[in-house]
Amino acid sequence: MEYLLHILVLVGIYTTLSVSLDLLAGYTGLLSIAHAAFYGLGAYTSALLAVNLGAPFLVGVLAGMTVAALVSFVVSLPSLRLHDDYFVIATFGSQMILFSLFNNWIDLTRGPLGIPGIPPPVMFGWTVQSHFEFVLLTAVLAGFTYLVVSSIATSPFGRVLRAIREDEVFAQAMGKNTLYFKVSAFAVSAALAASAGSLYAHYITYIDPTSFTVMESILVISMVIIGGAGSRWGPVIGAVVLVTLPEALRFLGLPIGVAANLRQIIYGILLVLMMMFRPQGLVGRYGFGR
Amino acid sequence: MDQFLINGLISGFTYGLIALSVNLIYTPTRFFHFAHGAVYAWGAYFGYLSVVTLEFPLWMALPLAVLMATVLGVGLEVSIYRPLRRRGTTPLVLLLASLGLYVVLQNLISMMFGDATQHLSAIAVAKGVALFGARVTPIQLWTVGVSVVAFALVAAMLQFTSFGKMMRAVASDPDLARVRGVDTDMVILGAFALGSALAGLAANLVALDVDMTPTMGLNAMITGVVAMIVGGVGSVPGTLLGGLLLGLAQHLGAWTLGTQWQEAIVFLILILFLLVRPQGFLGIPLRKAGV
Repeated sequence: MEYLLHILVLVGIYTTLSVSLDLLAGYTGLLSIAHAAFYGLGAYTSALLAVNLGAPFLVGVLAGMTVAALVSFVVSLPSLRLHDDYFVIATFGSQMILFSLFNNWIDLTRGPLGIPGIPPPVMFGWTVQSHFEFVLLTAVLAGFTYLVVSSIATSPFGRVLRAIREDEVFAQAMGKNTLYFKVSAFAVSAALAASAGSLYAHYITYIDPTSFTVMESILVISMVIIGGAGSRWGPVIGAVVLVTLPEALRFLGLPIGVAANLRQIIYGILLVLMMMFRPQGLVGRYGFGR
Repeated sequence: MDQFLINGLISGFTYGLIALSVNLIYTPTRFFHFAHGAVYAWGAYFGYLSVVTLEFPLWMALPLAVLMATVLGVGLEVSIYRPLRRRGTTPLVLLLASLGLYVVLQNLISMMFGDATQHLSAIAVAKGVALFGARVTPIQLWTVGVSVVAFALVAAMLQFTSFGKMMRAVASDPDLARVRGVDTDMVILGAFALGSALAGLAANLVALDVDMTPTMGLNAMITGVVAMIVGGVGSVPGTLLGGLLLGLAQHLGAWTLGTQWQEAIVFLILILFLLVRPQGFLGIPLRKAGV
């Protein structure tokens, strides 16, 4: 039972990540592979605040989201002048720089040793402790993210984002300041990813840089694409599939190391197959220009 | 100080070689073939397989490893990328497919060889010779030599052979090249073969000099991409210049800031160039990198 609830928490965290990335990758067409870095910024900010200063959970979450949004402005600066795969390469660079900070700024992050002893979230007198309570909390966060992203997507603002995705020059010709829209979408997406990071840190109670690598970014983008980029339920389905499918491997009785490799091989193959036969994903409509 | 400079130059020639292999494939195809990093890593492990497992002598093992890396790279092009290209997919879809391929191939290495660091221990640890007041191993000298020869050969090939001319034609305008009767698929196949062979060669030189891990490919690939962007897409001398700049910057950075920031330095240079001069030193301006 505990195990099932743990899977549900992971599904919730990854749903938050993939839905928030979809705002950028699916609706705006900006394929970022720096999402795990923003996820990490949230985790590190709230973990450090909680462990060093005893800051309450919600303060940590808000601080993490603020830091991620501010860093996203810095990342936007070089990235948003670029298009298509050059944008991907630029976000790759940002991901590597931020990971390097997590891993090497020893004085602050303790580097590869990680930060242990992160306290459980406390808010309004409610201490979130049992697995079941964490499922509730992640469900609230995932639901909140879903609402934010889908209400942006259906708003006039979201329409401009889709216009940028389809034809940025045309959107500019219609008098839209596309840079403003892209920077905003990037900041919202980064802040939401950071909130998932805070929750992850307080749930696992220990974080180290290995949770925020570029491979994690590739996993999240795979969820968005396999589910269906730029669609409402696509990223949710992608997160559910990619979290639960590999868990089934556990029941095959494989050694843990092999199971971890096999899990990645499965999503790698899924990604390739999707690109070959269904680039719009399981339920999506947008196929990256195809 | 001398040691840092010499090491920086040696790394620079290695990065240049990797960047050349990346550039050969990127120039005609115009998409980032991330799985190239996995071809590179597999190249080193093919070397491990033939040197350590099969105990072939080095003169036989290395060409075999390079050949196997070539077959792998060409296999990816023929089985995955070519069908995708025929359906008129965008570079972004090709990039995503290559990310998936990268993940699969890297994990296959982990499953088959384990995550531990492996060595090509065929050559006894050399003492190193003194050069301009720095210690250099024979393998490092070999690396520089191979890199210089590879650059010269590729530059000559692009300039003087008909295949080189076709490749430049495809790079500058694939549609026009096709109209003029150039078999673009053949040219791209050749680019994959040559690029994968150079990647396999570079990987084995690195494995002989240092070691190998399943994840070595991603860093090599991205360093190659950065060196290519810094030097200029499609420019052979630019690529060498880019590699040398990265190597020197990394080692001087290690000297002043500490070795832990070496990776970050590469990406800071990338971001800097993308901001200020996205076409690199010697490249032509790209629409994708335009304002």
